[in-house]
Amino acid sequence: MTYIRITGLAGAIALLTGMAGAETLTIGVRGGPESMDPHYSALGTHAEAAKHIFDTLVWADEALQIAPGLATEWSPVDDDTWEFKLREGVKFHDGSDFTAEDVKFSISRPPIVTGPTTTAIYVRRVQEVEIIDPHTIHIHTDGPAPSLPYDFVRLFIVSHTAAADYSTPETAAEGFNSGVASIGTGPFKLTSWEPKADLVLDRFDDYWGGPAAWERVIRKEMPNDSSRLAALMAGQVNLVNDVSSADYLQLQNDPAVDIFVGDGIYIMNMLLDQRTDEMPGLRAKDGSALPENPLRDIRVRQALDKAIDRETMVEIVLEGLGKPADQGMPPGFFGYSENVPKPVYDPEGAKALLAEAGYPDGFEMDLYCSSDRLPGDAAICQGLGQMLSVIGLTVNVNATSRTVYFPAQARGDYSVSMNGWGTLTGEATYTLGGQMHTPDADKGLGGFNRISYSNPDLDALIQQGMVELDEDKRREILESAMELAADDKVLIPIVQLQSVWAARAGELDFTPRTDGDTLAYPIKPKQ
Amino acid sequence: MTPSNPKAPTENPPVGMTETGKPTPPILLFWREFRRNRIATVALGITILLAFVALFAPFVAPQDPYNLQTLSLMDARRPPGHVGSGGYVHILGTDAQGRDLLSAILYGLRISIQISLAAGFIALTIGATIGVLAAYIGGWVETVLMRMVDLQLSFPAILLALVLSALLGQGKAQLITALVAAQYAYFARTAYGAATAERRKDYIEAALATPLSARRVIFRHLLPNCAPPLIVVATVQIASSISLEATLSFLGLGLPVTEPSLGMLIANGFQYMMSGRYWLSVYPGLMLILLIMAINIVGDQIRDQLNPRLRR
Amino acid sequence: MLAFIIQRALQAALVMVVMSMIVFLGVYAVGNPVDIVIPPDATIAMREEVIRRLGLDLPLWKQYGIFAWNLLQGDFGRSFIYNMPVLELIGGRLPATLELVLISILFATVTGVSLGIYAGVNPESRIAKLIMGLSILGFSVPSFWVGLILILTFAVHFGIFPAGGRGETVMVFGVEWSFLTANGLSHIVLPALNLALFKMAMMIRLARAGTREAMLSDTVKFARAAGISEATILRRHVLKLISIPIITVFGLELGSTLAFAVVTETIFSWPGVGKLIIDSITVLDRPVMVAYLVLTAFVFVMINFTVDLVFALIDPRIRSGRQKS
Repeated sequence: MTYIRITGLAGAIALLTGMAGAETLTIGVRGGPESMDPHYSALGTHAEAAKHIFDTLVWADEALQIAPGLATEWSPVDDDTWEFKLREGVKFHDGSDFTAEDVKFSISRPPIVTGPTTTAIYVRRVQEVEIIDPHTIHIHTDGPAPSLPYDFVRLFIVSHTAAADYSTPETAAEGFNSGVASIGTGPFKLTSWEPKADLVLDRFDDYWGGPAAWERVIRKEMPNDSSRLAALMAGQVNLVNDVSSADYLQLQNDPAVDIFVGDGIYIMNMLLDQRTDEMPGLRAKDGSALPENPLRDIRVRQALDKAIDRETMVEIVLEGLGKPADQGMPPGFFGYSENVPKPVYDPEGAKALLAEAGYPDGFEMDLYCSSDRLPGDAAICQGLGQMLSVIGLTVNVNATSRTVYFPAQARGDYSVSMNGWGTLTGEATYTLGGQMHTPDADKGLGGFNRISYSNPDLDALIQQGMVELDEDKRREILESAMELAADDKVLIPIVQLQSVWAARAGELDFTPRTDGDTLAYPIKPKQ
Repeated sequence: MTPSNPKAPTENPPVGMTETGKPTPPILLFWREFRRNRIATVALGITILLAFVALFAPFVAPQDPYNLQTLSLMDARRPPGHVGSGGYVHILGTDAQGRDLLSAILYGLRISIQISLAAGFIALTIGATIGVLAAYIGGWVETVLMRMVDLQLSFPAILLALVLSALLGQGKAQLITALVAAQYAYFARTAYGAATAERRKDYIEAALATPLSARRVIFRHLLPNCAPPLIVVATVQIASSISLEATLSFLGLGLPVTEPSLGMLIANGFQYMMSGRYWLSVYPGLMLILLIMAINIVGDQIRDQLNPRLRR
Repeated sequence: MLAFIIQRALQAALVMVVMSMIVFLGVYAVGNPVDIVIPPDATIAMREEVIRRLGLDLPLWKQYGIFAWNLLQGDFGRSFIYNMPVLELIGGRLPATLELVLISILFATVTGVSLGIYAGVNPESRIAKLIMGLSILGFSVPSFWVGLILILTFAVHFGIFPAGGRGETVMVFGVEWSFLTANGLSHIVLPALNLALFKMAMMIRLARAGTREAMLSDTVKFARAAGISEATILRRHVLKLISIPIITVFGLELGSTLAFAVVTETIFSWPGVGKLIIDSITVLDRPVMVAYLVLTAFVFVMINFTVDLVFALIDPRIRSGRQKS
């Protein structure tokens, strides 16, 4: 029977009929999966959907701290071997038992069936999987890999029997999308999925964590922020994610709606390219060439940092939906340093620093940003332009679509740019190694270093942090790396974004997750 | 023959001859007829006014919305009537960057008109050239050219513009290219229709038999006959390209957000519709509708006047 | 007649071949999906693997050859993004779009033609002026803007209709249709109205212009002189005279409404093909773009072909080779 919501009376009726209305949870989400094969894509929205059907060995909690999942414990056996103890008594949706075979199979699968946004990165350190007994495995890595448990947060476990025939690029989509192969151990079973439309899930009663509160969960993809919110207002969905900052203020005063605000993983950074040979988009105010790249001068970078009024950026541009950022990663993440000084808004000091660096009258710069990747990116970009013009710079703001922006940025077309960076793994090597290490394809480091930054001291710290197996020492090394990066103004962090969820008032208990995932299992109907 | 009137014309006086004997210029006749439709006259007035305002936006607008130094984030998203830090009243409120919305609308109007005029003019040139050449040359050139045009006409302009602007990327030049590609065929078809009708007339056949240059035939006879229908198509196409540009911008495929046309202003303002800050998209929307409607009404009237079949 | 059909069919086939080539080359010549689809931190080996897997390492003519060969066997290839057969991806969403488009265009035609005839018969009346004013408004107001206003008014403010999405569906002939359920019908009202407005304005103008011309024609003048009632004149003569342009426009607009559905579907989160194509364009999912365009071209060619045939049936002069203008 289809459950039909009766707008306005919902709360009262739910009380009267004793939760009869709480059987189905309908969620309006901004983006959805690309396939039902969890190993197909590494995109956040893809993994988010997969988490309903499949489990991972290592779980990441609301604050992205790692916790036991299908593995109950793990520890390094030697420098390049990890031992994982597997949870016992776990059933797949088809009733079969979860064992080490499934883990081995699931680790072998991503490189073969992955789509363009590769999931092979989650198993790239794995050399060999050794089954010790049905509930113990040893993972042999190519050298010390302390971040392996973090990699495994996104490694979904599929059934080695159900998916056996659907593990080539040609067969995977058919097998998984039809539901034949998408047999997981997660809290929900796949009922149906239409790309860019609805994902329908039904409760798996034998879930090892206990059955979910919802008999059925429908995740509707609604990419337009206003339409999604309108659907909530009209009572078509119970919960929506990614409420835009434009609607946030208004909703705070709306008694018909509960809002949930969570810190996000994304930091908006200004990137200052430090090349010596060329500096596209930088020139003197009269249009003539500058003698040298001003962005190489630490005083100029400090001046740009001081020019940013982060409070205004949060309060006005984001309408309260964010926090000033002081380093490239949100507070509380592994490696975040409390010792980094809070940035100070000081336009006069900024002008003085510019003068000291030899630019008393400023210079002209083209500022580029993505305009459709993250909420508020275009607005922050334009606000940034205003703030930089206050200290005497001439700024030409260009906010472009991400399909133009990222390839151009990778080509080196921009000297000054701004975009968000999400520390997806919740720990610092991801951010430091990706964005700030000298580009090194062999080591797989510096892949996102878009500013030609190279600092041997920082490189050394990052590399140490990547191989140190002792938690405390590792934390110390990464914190000092974050401090060094902040000190040298490698990136200019501006704000940390926050995410907002909205639900019909009094219906749901919901805890925001730092990674922004909207997972149905932890959501409970309000008593 | 009576001597009292030695200068009597040997033929009937052409229609529109005045008492003084000088012919009234056809444009004046046209205008007299046009003026009789009051709504169309008002629409024409609005069109001209908007065009002027757009042309002189830098002098008319209270603020230069692109000069970052004159903006203040503190003025962001204020309702109409707010007195900003610049000291003047923001009659239509301010946008998310603290820009005076009226100024942003005037500049947006300027961009919208600029782009649609540029696209319209280029499409007209290309289209008329193809149409007239096809009619003049004839043979397989005619078949190939017009087959191509018909093929494209059967394809929706919006889809073509959509795909092209997605492939070409954001920017004025790219957008104009997409609009031209989507619209030239209408001009080509119209020019071709008018030119073939003329081409079949005996006097052109005769002219072609004489050593009159091709240029003369094309410029003196074919093109002038294409002009009236082309004008009608041009007004329709300019109105529709303004609307098309707005739609593309709304879908995120038109201009970059930092240089907003009217469509982009509406798209930017759309995100504030749910939170009651209606002015951000309502006023640019009204301006857009006013502009398109005015042009359409004028175009309608011109077409009615040029359509001989409706004359009694 | 047979020769005419064969000639037109051959022409249509040729057009399809040319179209498929233009579309394929056009979509493949510009933009590099690899930049968008592959994460920037992918190693060179990963990148090359993806390029090879997507078949982008082959020369263009070879890519087209493979595409055309598969196309002949009814295979449009696989989506870069979803790794699903494109036909399945589009086919799954086609009913939603068709339903929306057909309902809109029927509504637009019926209302538009009636209003247009009225305005054409009584051109000077106040109501006719109002109708024409509305048609100019409908012509001028961009459809995305109307969509927003409809949602704000009827969904958010009054709460009469849902703001978006497709309602309950029922299976008929193996396809899910939503207009057969009350819930589904309530979902389709706003998007269909949104999509219909522009077409309705167009139909009004067309019907009015046709009626005005018809009313001035000698046939109608004589009929009037003969004392035949206005209703009969309208039914017998005017409707017949204006039917040809209306059939043409109905056919052609069917196609362009399909295209305009892109905008409506985006605003109303309608899970149709239009929304799919917009998403595919932004991520440069070439196989989906090419398939959609080729299929749209096919629909257009078929419509033109049908319109030509219908014309030939209605108007024998066309059969003898006289071109319509």
